[in-house]
Amino acid sequence: MTRSSPRSLAGRVALYAAAALIAVYSAFPIYWMVVSSTRAPQALINSTSLLPGPFTWEYYTNLLELTDYPSQFLNSLIVAAVTVVVTMVFSIMIAYAVTRHRIRGKGIIVGAMLYAYMFPPLLIAIPMFSIFAKLGLGDTLTSVIVSHLTLTLPLGVWFLWGFFKSMPFELEEAAMVDGCTRLGAFLRVVLPLSLPGLITVAIFSFLLSWTDYTYALIMIGSDANKTVPVGLASMVGSFDLRWGEIMAGSTLIALPLFGAFALLSQYFIQGLGAGAVKG
Amino acid sequence: MSSKATIYSFLFLGLAVTALLIVAPVVYAVSLSFYQMDSFVGAPKWAGLDNYTRMLSQWVFWRALINGFIYSFGTIIFQVVLGIGFALVLNQVFPGRNIVRGLSILPYLLPTVVVVLTFKWMVDGSIGVLTTMMSALGLPQVQWFESPGAAMASVILVSVWMWTPFVTTTFLAALQTVPSSLYEAAKVDGTNAVQRFFHITLPMLKPILTVIVLLRAVWMFNKFDVIWLLTQGGPVGATEHLAILSYKQAFGQFDIGGGAAVATISFAILSLVVFIYFRLFPLDTE
Repeated sequence: MTRSSPRSLAGRVALYAAAALIAVYSAFPIYWMVVSSTRAPQALINSTSLLPGPFTWEYYTNLLELTDYPSQFLNSLIVAAVTVVVTMVFSIMIAYAVTRHRIRGKGIIVGAMLYAYMFPPLLIAIPMFSIFAKLGLGDTLTSVIVSHLTLTLPLGVWFLWGFFKSMPFELEEAAMVDGCTRLGAFLRVVLPLSLPGLITVAIFSFLLSWTDYTYALIMIGSDANKTVPVGLASMVGSFDLRWGEIMAGSTLIALPLFGAFALLSQYFIQGLGAGAVKG
Repeated sequence: MSSKATIYSFLFLGLAVTALLIVAPVVYAVSLSFYQMDSFVGAPKWAGLDNYTRMLSQWVFWRALINGFIYSFGTIIFQVVLGIGFALVLNQVFPGRNIVRGLSILPYLLPTVVVVLTFKWMVDGSIGVLTTMMSALGLPQVQWFESPGAAMASVILVSVWMWTPFVTTTFLAALQTVPSSLYEAAKVDGTNAVQRFFHITLPMLKPILTVIVLLRAVWMFNKFDVIWLLTQGGPVGATEHLAILSYKQAFGQFDIGGGAAVATISFAILSLVVFIYFRLFPLDTE
């Protein structure tokens, strides 16, 4: 501890109490979601115990066997994966071109991307829906992916722009002196060195796409094409409210995020500090 | 491929993608606001400023505007105050600090749907855990979504829970940049922790705080999903803000021009607010 004065006992107790409060406030709803998703039906309605159990897996098996959840989960995976890949490819190219050359048009790109941070969702969703309906591509995963790109691409370009800017020109020049082409220097020198930035962009693009409700709600009409957030939300509106299944479905959407966060938290925090934002 | 060709092909692709994905939809949305359309595939009829005058002359529009401001201000104030408070606590040294830091971020990772559904389950009429806890403590029953005031408070509560971690994390990172010699010197001068916070920490972190507040303000003003999932704008429009109004116009009543007009207006308001904000709080970093 670097602080010079040792804390008083009262100060330490207050600090621990505050830390405990933050932990409970942040984690209790998540804990409760998981507990509810594994609690047997009778206890789910009657028990007031805050500890987990009595256990059951029936909500999970119901969800996976009797509902559209598995196929909707797959839809979400496809949408998020394609969104991440396309975002990466284009944001790398755009950010690189913008930082490495003094050319006209670069201001337009960066300005448009920054402005896009502020777009009201409906300002994008209304024209997108209309365009895709006219193209005969309404109610498709493609339409969801394209609308997600309007969120993820500005984020990727904006973040990588800052990242490439801080990378010295000499690196590529050295490689080009050694006989690399510009493209070769870019692929072999710049990209590997930007890996931390690329991972951050991938994480946030995935997060934005995976958690999106608004665009998927507007673009998708049929149950078969829904992504999990929309599919799960429509379960609540149905005739009998099955909290066990709903909490099981919620847990399954949240778990991949927590797993990824446990592995990649440093990139996540770095990204937040550098202006990569989810909602 | 020559060096120039590589860069220019990247740039050309960049411009094309930006034009197609960012510029075109917005231009199209704004142009739709000047047409009358009853369906998304029907032929648009030129309507001039009719959509705007029609929307602006309805009190639902003004109610939505005011609700939007109440919602944004309410959520931002609580997020920023709580977030700074959390960051100050998590900046101290205590056992298990990294675990608490990790836990404090989790709400931000969750999909809105998960947060809303879990909240609804926790406050469920008779069996929700919050309901039973509150009645065990002798607190009165809260009708979370029934009355206008309670619905707005619920929407703000859930939003604050979800988005406080953004403030906590960015502020905590910024706290690391304040040189500890400043605090040491101030301590020697006999200041207390509160004075040090207001005279060192806050002034040092003003630039980052300016950006945090602006980003949060923009995103909260535009937020659609959390309100739609919690209340659908109800009861009787008490939580209906511009994004919900725009959605209901375009996709509920198939008044596409009206919906586009509301979206355009809310974007114009947002641009104006951002412009004024930067005039009031200029970023003095380059």
